[in-house]
Amino acid sequence: MTVDITKYSKFLEQVASEIDIPPGKYQDAVDRYQAVGRWLEEGDYPGCSDELSIYPQGSFRLGTVVRPIRDGIEACYDIDLVCEMPLQKDRSTPQAVKSMVGERLREHGTYRKLLDPEGRRCWTLEYAEQDGVGFHLDVLPAALDGRGLLSTALAITNKNGSTYSWSASDPRGYGAWFDGKNNAAFARAVVEQKQSIQRRASLIYASIDKVPDQLVRTPLQRSIQLMKRHRDLHFNHHDRIDYTPISIIITTLAAHLYGNEADVHSALSGIVDKLQAHAALVEGKPIDGSLAAIGLIQRRPDGTWYVGNPVNPAENFADRWHEDNHARARAFFAWVDALQKDLLNILGDASPSLLKEHLGRVLGAAVVSKHFEILVPPAPVIDTPPRIHITRPAKPWREV
Amino acid sequence: MREDLRQQIIELSGVHKGLTNIVERDTETIVSGPLSFEASADGGETIRESFEIELIIPRSFPDTLPWVKEIGGRIESDYDHRNPSGTLCLAVPVEQRRVFFEQATLLGFVNRLVIPYLYGYCYWKEHGRHPFGEAAHGHEGILRHYADTLGLHDDVTVLAAICFLLEHGYRGHHECPCGSGRRVRACHGPELRALHDHHTPQTLRNDFIAIFEMFYTKSQSGQITFPKPLLLQLVRILNRIGL
Repeated sequence: MTVDITKYSKFLEQVASEIDIPPGKYQDAVDRYQAVGRWLEEGDYPGCSDELSIYPQGSFRLGTVVRPIRDGIEACYDIDLVCEMPLQKDRSTPQAVKSMVGERLREHGTYRKLLDPEGRRCWTLEYAEQDGVGFHLDVLPAALDGRGLLSTALAITNKNGSTYSWSASDPRGYGAWFDGKNNAAFARAVVEQKQSIQRRASLIYASIDKVPDQLVRTPLQRSIQLMKRHRDLHFNHHDRIDYTPISIIITTLAAHLYGNEADVHSALSGIVDKLQAHAALVEGKPIDGSLAAIGLIQRRPDGTWYVGNPVNPAENFADRWHEDNHARARAFFAWVDALQKDLLNILGDASPSLLKEHLGRVLGAAVVSKHFEILVPPAPVIDTPPRIHITRPAKPWREV
Repeated sequence: MREDLRQQIIELSGVHKGLTNIVERDTETIVSGPLSFEASADGGETIRESFEIELIIPRSFPDTLPWVKEIGGRIESDYDHRNPSGTLCLAVPVEQRRVFFEQATLLGFVNRLVIPYLYGYCYWKEHGRHPFGEAAHGHEGILRHYADTLGLHDDVTVLAAICFLLEHGYRGHHECPCGSGRRVRACHGPELRALHDHHTPQTLRNDFIAIFEMFYTKSQSGQITFPKPLLLQLVRILNRIGL
């Protein structure tokens, strides 16, 4: 059996959309976080004159949400929200900013019950499962780190034991950078996808222009979702799990390497090929000159690694890659090889049932099973079963 | 997945086209789906049926044979040829191996063991008896299988035969364990050879333990005494296998 690339790309698209957040759940999450936002806005915070703003960051903002899978079972979505206080960081303390938000959440009868114990950076509201799917809202308190009028840089709080400190973050800046990489493909896809979403979710969106941009997905976003799901399953093993590549590295590299391909298969193979071309760095060997010049993944003279935050080059996402004899770097490139083997080099696989088993193992059995018919239409009902003549049969027995 | 197993699964699903669902686990591969067949047997009617089955193929296959479950709920709970774990009891272990080795692949396993079992079940439902007979349950069934295969009427001699296999394997020039005084090759040679060929050390050891346990209780209560050479052999074997 040879797999048709067009069908395979369609199949990957469907799998990615299956592990994505569905429109109804998206709208539900938006309503919840806006309610949290209104509640936080109405609070009185010492030293704050303007209104605070609350907005999503991370995969929910970038359109790269992947439903977590734990022990083969699809689990709750994680939704990250920034709670930006209208305060300059040097006029407050991280502890004050963190506790202002926490106190305000505790003043609300419902949120008090949903609130988890204080986290390192955020306050987590645990929404119970509805229709079998729940989510966690992580509320990340932040202050302004105003360097210049147009700066989007923020200072977020870090709790370590009973000590609080600031760290730099720039979710708005990162979002804008990602949009820049995604825009051309978004413009190509937007009309058709909104039509299709509106048709499928007409109870939620009465007309096409009510469908939010945040639900449109480009081949870049689909590729990132597939890579993250593959990563979740690939590293779901006790001796690998500590070296799991973080989502921000995957998202950043994929967005850099995306060449505006028009379908998921081409986009994913373009990204994976270019990542693989960096693998020689693990052995300290040179890589292709044009890739080295771009410098997405760098090996520094002291052996450490660098994957920069595109909106804050001082932040190195790969600052731990050299630890344990470069374990994270090795794990990353071994995973890139597995992506190539598991998702891209499958086009000549021999039997439909083995292909289904294989894809189920690397992407999740339930989602693959649901869409496998795109790749291999079900065999027509067989009306002539094999004929067997029984000779020298065994006698049935029973253990006791 | 091992390449030979992969090839066997391709062969199996090429014939039994419903067996398409494959799940790979750490210690086993599971193949499941509807198994449709049209089967006949000498002296029995043709039966056309379909059962939902699950084949659980251990890593050690074919040293360990697959387990089979009927997962469509078609086999009624009063049918007693099922193991306590719910797997189908296709045959006494060594007989399963005998039949399996006539066509030692997954396809052979399904065609020669699973389908005849399901045929037997359908026949039993219709006629109230088993078309190919049935083995006694538990250890008794194992003992009877050896007695029938070797044509022996005395159970102590059966024990002697399995001790012989366990201690020597197949040795044509030894004296036959049946006590006839002839050499093995001139006496129970073919039967012992076949048993020897179908066993792995583990399956032979399991059968020995099953049969020995039956005698042990009887010998403790003085209902049975072993001839001295057999007693010495038993002591040697028990020491060796650490019982």
